[in-house]
Amino acid sequence: MSSLAYLAVVNLVIWGGLFFYLWRLDRRISGKESGR
Amino acid sequence: MKAAKAFLGIYMAAFTGAAFLWPKPAQGFIGESSRIVFFHVPCAWTASLAFLVAAGYSLGYLVRRDPRWDDVAAAAVRLGLLFAVLALVTGSLFARIMWGSYWNWDPRESSFLLLIFLYAAYLFLRNAVEDPDRRATLSAAYALFAAVLMPFLVFVAPRITQSLHPQTVINPQGKILMDGPTRAVFFGGLVGFSAIFLWMLSLEARAARLERRRAASGS
Repeated sequence: MSSLAYLAVVNLVIWGGLFFYLWRLDRRISGKESGR
Repeated sequence: MKAAKAFLGIYMAAFTGAAFLWPKPAQGFIGESSRIVFFHVPCAWTASLAFLVAAGYSLGYLVRRDPRWDDVAAAAVRLGLLFAVLALVTGSLFARIMWGSYWNWDPRESSFLLLIFLYAAYLFLRNAVEDPDRRATLSAAYALFAAVLMPFLVFVAPRITQSLHPQTVINPQGKILMDGPTRAVFFGGLVGFSAIFLWMLSLEARAARLERRRAASGS
């Protein structure tokens, strides 16, 4: 795998992690807002 | 809104892949280091946007005296600091490659560091004041004062003297010196980072509102 593609994958993992975290946080807050 | 957030995730994945694989590296830079512009500049831009948002909500608090405006202003400053630190870190990585050291006391590096200190002081101020109304009022006044200084530190001070920093997007020629693919990915990054900031800000605002509701109900 070329180093550029490697860096792209690393970044995607970081973004994927951040996005997953924000999505879960959003769901938890939405749950509390609706009183669940 | 769910679809928009899902789309943002796909968008950022596409942006990240494109940043590394599509535009050719810019001339005059070592290796692929110019690609950092796709992350470094949007972080700096988003930090500036966040500080402006903080100023807006601070003004709103002073006018309306609604503590929810203070919550958003504080959240905007925290997020602005996060993106400002990321801008500094990515800039340092670039500096290491291009000039051999992470920190050079360059005017742009130094003025951005000052900006971070300026807004870190906002958080220290909030921690130092116990009374919520007084804390909100002082914070709002400080954020407005800081917002006056912010454009000077970000846009003016680094241009007054010679700097190692590469020519910026806003340059004396008044032209965007990027080819098509670079321009597309760059502005795509600006949009994506701004959208992520707005999402994070809305999460913070909603969490603060829930906290207030919980405190008011005594539970």
